[in-house]
Amino acid sequence: MRSLKSLLFICVLFLSLTIISSPAYAQKEIKIGVLYPLSGALATIGRDLQRAAELTADIINNKTPGVDIPMAKWGGIPNLGGAKIKLIFVDHRGEPDRGADLAKRLILDDKVVGLMGAYNSAVTKTVSAVAERYGIPMINDSSTSPDLTERGFKWFWRTTPHDNYFNRDLFELLKGLTEGKVRGVKAVPKAQLQNLAYACENTEWGSGVAKSIEAYAKEYGFTIKKGILYNANSPDLTSEAKALLSVKPDAMLFASYLSDSLLMIRTLKGMKAQTKFLWGQDAGFEMADFAKQLGGDINGVLTRTVFIDKITKVKKVAGQINALYKKKYGDDLTGATARSVVGVQTWAYVLNKAGSTDPKAIQKACNEINIPANELVMPWEGVKFDSKGQNVLGRGLIGQYQKKPDGSISLEIVYPFDLATANFIYPFPGWK
Amino acid sequence: MLVIDALLQGILIGLLFALVALGLTVIFGVMDIVNFAHGEFLMLGMYAVYWTNYFLNIDPLLALPVSAALGAVLGLASYYWLIRYLLRGPAIAQLFGTFGLMLFLQYLAMFLFSADYRMIDKGVLVGKSYSIGPFIFEGTKLAAGILSLISFAVVYYFLYKTKTGKALQATAINKEAATYMGIKTDRMNALAWVIGGGTVGIAGGLLINFYYAYPMVGILFVMIAFACVALGGFGSIKGVFYAGILVGILEMMFPVFGQLIGSDFLGPHFKFTVVYLAYFIIVVVRPQGLFGWKN
Repeated sequence: MRSLKSLLFICVLFLSLTIISSPAYAQKEIKIGVLYPLSGALATIGRDLQRAAELTADIINNKTPGVDIPMAKWGGIPNLGGAKIKLIFVDHRGEPDRGADLAKRLILDDKVVGLMGAYNSAVTKTVSAVAERYGIPMINDSSTSPDLTERGFKWFWRTTPHDNYFNRDLFELLKGLTEGKVRGVKAVPKAQLQNLAYACENTEWGSGVAKSIEAYAKEYGFTIKKGILYNANSPDLTSEAKALLSVKPDAMLFASYLSDSLLMIRTLKGMKAQTKFLWGQDAGFEMADFAKQLGGDINGVLTRTVFIDKITKVKKVAGQINALYKKKYGDDLTGATARSVVGVQTWAYVLNKAGSTDPKAIQKACNEINIPANELVMPWEGVKFDSKGQNVLGRGLIGQYQKKPDGSISLEIVYPFDLATANFIYPFPGWK
Repeated sequence: MLVIDALLQGILIGLLFALVALGLTVIFGVMDIVNFAHGEFLMLGMYAVYWTNYFLNIDPLLALPVSAALGAVLGLASYYWLIRYLLRGPAIAQLFGTFGLMLFLQYLAMFLFSADYRMIDKGVLVGKSYSIGPFIFEGTKLAAGILSLISFAVVYYFLYKTKTGKALQATAINKEAATYMGIKTDRMNALAWVIGGGTVGIAGGLLINFYYAYPMVGILFVMIAFACVALGGFGSIKGVFYAGILVGILEMMFPVFGQLIGSDFLGPHFKFTVVYLAYFIIVVVRPQGLFGWKN
């Protein structure tokens, strides 16, 4: 009897101890440290990132009608007793060493559960190193340097696709063309798209893209007939354009800044260049001035990007969250801000899955998380990390400039195929 | 075929390079002053035609007199309001003076027109190409080459066949002697600046047909112009003509050469390296340049 009593006592004591010590009930607020460039050259973008992150935290913390994802009906993290997410923003000014100092302070003084940020790849590099040292989880929402997830870190996860993904998208689109997956285009025999030629500007970014294109071409079975690196500040691109055209490429690929992309298109037009597929890797090709300066000359030109406002028409959630953001701040979501939304969202899902703020539990939850595509504002297939911490379900968008009957130019989504907002123009109409 | 094509394209662009460099060499020949703001005259010439086209809907080629006039006025104003004062100071003052003018004009353009890239999209030849035999020429570049040649010929005729032109040359060769002969050298100096500004204004007007204008565009072309002037010989009109064409041909031919020997290494990204290498060799081997007469 006595032993039974004491066993019962021990049981009760143990249970109550568990309940008291469980963070889910002890804690009503979960602190996440967010590092963004809030002053200096990137202040504008930093401000927008902060707004998007705050809006997302609001959606999670307060039941938000009109947003059709479970998270909006939570009113806090359900498995943590409705605890609210509290984002602590700090300004790293784009400086890696400052970022590292701030990360240390967030971990030691503010006792944050985890970190998010830091936009600039260089800052993310140092911040994640601090997080790794202290064993604090960090979810990176918007840095695209491929190297970040190649360091064997155990406490670092990245939701955004990196630059190699964007180049893979290009080859998926090419492959899709040969398989008849592209909206409005019958399958193109591969022999008709076999030969590629690229011209990339010759600094670190362009030459990196060139290397990546070479690698993917091999993997997907395409032939690079000609690849050149050129100086973006060249007074003349005639010889570059001629070199590309000399191999009669089926597809022409570019990594260009704005001025050289303008000159290149003009030069190609002057040579009555003929090709079936013309693609640019972001940068110059994506900027508003590209369409403004070249107008009708870019009908059929493709550019990679991460978020086109058209996405709100084909993705319900994107439209709903975009409407909230626009109502509050007056702007549409962009590629950068939409990634910030996904970052905070991933944190919420991870915390809910972990059901605890213990770093080990969060680490495990991160490694196992699987957010379905229809709950994201991004046109991704979901969020799921590989062993390196990279989200393998992320993807970019490829847009095509299309001339509308009224003469205006609009950027339509053509890849991923299920999100296409218009029929693909194939082959590239060229310049008559 | 590839070689002939590159040769023709090189000559076309080279003619324009020569016209850009002409003003530089005339001013240097007469006054021994290097005009660092030369590229900015070019830039303003580009903007002059751009805005005339934009607001008045005048074809860029017909708007050339506007850029020529603007260039000439700029040259004249620079001479009377800046250079004349600089001449009283040491040589270094002249150097920094035109350098300052360069910065002033760059930032003035930035202030007035913003840093946006601007291209012409309406014009008779804009965006047109012509096939002549197996070769395709852009209409705007063809026009630029031909009009550059004509402008060059006019200036050449003026300098070598007219009395005033000869007086200008006399001033260039020996200022003191020219003064004794009754030549008003001050006016000749001003004339050199008018010719320099006017020709580069025309070059800018031609360039805007196929190149974008922005406040810092001058430096790209003026670097080539410096190479042309040095290659041809400081102050030599004939020299700068051949040097311009040589630079154009080198620029176009080099990538073709790489292609012919099947080397991607000798690709277009090295094309201007070759141009400046040629410049370097000439400066070392023949410091007075190919046709130079001034030491």
